[in-house]
Amino acid sequence: MSPVVQSRGKKITAADNLYTVILAVAFCVVLATAVFVAYQCYTQYETIFKIQ
Amino acid sequence: MSTLTKVLIVLLTIASIFLCGIVVTYVASEVNYKQKYENQLSSYQAAKKNEDNAKTQLNNTIEEKGRDTEKLGEQIASLEEQINKLKSDLANAERNRDLANRKVNDWVAIVKDFSKTIENNEKLTKDALTERDLKEAELIKQDKELKDTTAALMENMAIVKQLQEGSKRLLEEKTELQNKLDQYLRQYGKAIAEPMPVTPDRGAVSLAPPTKDIDLNGSITEIDLKNLLAEISIGTADGVKEGMRFHLTRGDKFICDIVILDVWPEKAVGWIELLQDQPRDQPKIDDKVSTNL
Repeated sequence: MSPVVQSRGKKITAADNLYTVILAVAFCVVLATAVFVAYQCYTQYETIFKIQ
Repeated sequence: MSTLTKVLIVLLTIASIFLCGIVVTYVASEVNYKQKYENQLSSYQAAKKNEDNAKTQLNNTIEEKGRDTEKLGEQIASLEEQINKLKSDLANAERNRDLANRKVNDWVAIVKDFSKTIENNEKLTKDALTERDLKEAELIKQDKELKDTTAALMENMAIVKQLQEGSKRLLEEKTELQNKLDQYLRQYGKAIAEPMPVTPDRGAVSLAPPTKDIDLNGSITEIDLKNLLAEISIGTADGVKEGMRFHLTRGDKFICDIVILDVWPEKAVGWIELLQDQPRDQPKIDDKVSTNL
């Protein structure tokens, strides 16, 4: 899936790696959000999942 | 890769970013309940401590108030006793005040009567002084007469003495002459006859008219042993006169004599004579007096 320019009568399309990057960004955002939420839970309640 | 997959990847990414933003915003803006709980817990504990302190202070205050109430009750009881005592004292004082007012009114009336009596006494004193001046003048006159009479008496006494001496001398001469005459007549066997008095005989002495008892009876009303004066209960209304002699007796016992000096209608005052020396024989009030024993 390398970005190959279709020079002959074909439409220009993004390479598949772009979507992989988009997915990686989305994953990183979700991961960062989970880490932030976990950090907040730990700092506020001194636990992540346990209910006191 | 199909187009749908690509679209889904893009949508999934956008939705993930959007949702993650919402979650991050929510979590970041969420309240820290633990800290709030701890704050509330510390506030609660402080409030509870304050409550305990307040309860302790309340109990102490209640105990102090109870002690103060007991003290105040005792003070109220003592004050009520004092009030009752003061009320009784007030009643006594009012009663004494009423008595004092009554006495004052009585004394005012007595003083008025005394003032009138004093005025009358002053008038009587003036009259008595006037009478005393008259009596003194009369007394001076009588004293002068007495002196004259005494001088005349002394002269008469001197004359009597001279006459007595003359009579004595004549009697001696008479005796001498009689002795001589006896001696002379005895020579002739004669005796002298009984001499006849020169002054004529006056005849038989006539008897005095018969006397009767005055028979006045009374009693002693006042007595002054220091001045030997006594007052009896009868006066001129009963026939008492100055100079009368009353005999004071107690039962069958003679005490003394009273010679009347001044007489009033209802009483008389006299001089005590023949007073006994023994104390039990001294005259007393209510002893009987009479003119005849």
